Amino acid sequence: MKKLLLATVVAAICSYPVQAEVDISGFASVMGGKLTSGSGVALFGLEPTFLANYPTVGVYEEDWTFKPDSKFGLQMTAELTEGLTATAQLVGRGADDFDAGFEWAYLSYTLNEHWTLQAGKKRLPLYYYSDFFDVSYAYLWIRPPADNYTWQIFNYTGVNAQFNYQLSDWSLSGNIYTGREDDAENKLLSEFFGTEPVREIWKDIVGGVLSLNRDWLDLRLTYMTYQNERYSGGQRVFWDGEDTRRGNFAGLSVNIDYNNWLLLSEVNRLALDGDDYDTYLLSAGYRIQQFTPYVSYADFDSDGEKHNTTSVGVRWDFHNSAAFKFQFDDVNDKGIGSNQVAGDSKAITMGVDLVF
Amino acid sequence: MNWFKVMTLTAALAANTAFAEVAVIVHPSNAATLDQAEITRLFTGRGATFNNGNKATPLNLSESAAARADFDSKVLGKSSSQMKAYWSKLVFTGKGTPPKELNSDADMKAAVAADANAIGYIDAAAVDATVKVVAKF
Repeated sequence: MKKLLLATVVAAICSYPVQAEVDISGFASVMGGKLTSGSGVALFGLEPTFLANYPTVGVYEEDWTFKPDSKFGLQMTAELTEGLTATAQLVGRGADDFDAGFEWAYLSYTLNEHWTLQAGKKRLPLYYYSDFFDVSYAYLWIRPPADNYTWQIFNYTGVNAQFNYQLSDWSLSGNIYTGREDDAENKLLSEFFGTEPVREIWKDIVGGVLSLNRDWLDLRLTYMTYQNERYSGGQRVFWDGEDTRRGNFAGLSVNIDYNNWLLLSEVNRLALDGDDYDTYLLSAGYRIQQFTPYVSYADFDSDGEKHNTTSVGVRWDFHNSAAFKFQFDDVNDKGIGSNQVAGDSKAITMGVDLVF
Repeated sequence: MNWFKVMTLTAALAANTAFAEVAVIVHPSNAATLDQAEITRLFTGRGATFNNGNKATPLNLSESAAARADFDSKVLGKSSSQMKAYWSKLVFTGKGTPPKELNSDADMKAAVAADANAIGYIDAAAVDATVKVVAKF
């Protein structure tokens, strides 16, 4: 199903160059960093580590590395007929040794001025920054705070209906989506949190996003429910005797961009089989011409796993399509025993984000 | 040194364009009225029609054109890099497509004069009878 859809979208783009315009755009980040200190986790035999990106297991260690946050993306969009477009996005990440794959591949049909239907593979729009996580140029920091963006599944294949309305001074937009993701060998669960290959399935996904924008204020509400199914080393995983478990995710984001002040916030909860996983972030920045210094705090709290990150950094828009960023992160892992993730760490990261 | 050059260049550009006026233009047959909020809506992809219900096709100047930075800052209240970040988010999530870009005031005038749905902007000094001015900033 996934392969077929992908093939259809790619074929649609490739076979139309004569009649249709194919727009090519892209983004790239070249980021390097290293730990300045870190505790590691003796219990797991883990060396000092800054886990900057959970889903792709992007880790900084004591030596300089460019892998965790460096990436490139190429997007091809072909207008097939009036209102129908095919889009494919190829993304290569340093954390995957730049092994590029189709991260997005979907058909989009504009129903009318307000509604657009899409079908295919897209990113799961859970958190505020989830669906443009890789396009670092579009946000303030080097990466959305790792403590919030921890979930192992970040894509889905399915259908999506998005809308756009104007209500006096408010812009109302959002989407409703449904689909599933079957990740044959989930990187986070297989490589970081485990030693055996884990097949992670999120099925019966149903979710919605509602965004309200007015001048300098941006509000976003998000909700998603799914069924989790898992196989570890080929064996089905059971939770309290059940072979599936339900997760319900809800979140609120409030962002303000007023008189050069930026205030960014998110608060989210995933209720998974009776356990609550709470995350929030709070960032403030102040724009001085091309420079935007910022501070940020992000927190993850559950019964077992608890950690937070305090960050300071600066974004410098030195070019019309490129920004230099420098960031210092201080991670505090408050988990006890096996509830630790990667221990405490302090790290610096710097580099350039661009779009074209 | 480079640092100094960038700062000086920016200061020079800011000084240069401080007195230029931007004229927002439409086809002479277009009877719609437009205020700054409506223009902003059209140029940020949040609306696609004029207030008389007709389809609107916004046209942007490329970043090499002098009036672009003026339009972004005076009308949209953003820098050109902020607008680029804004559009990047929409483009790479399949939520929007930025307006087509034209290279010069002359190209813009010709495109607007030829399309009853078009809305664009040029340096106010370049306005002539082929287009209709709906607002100046």
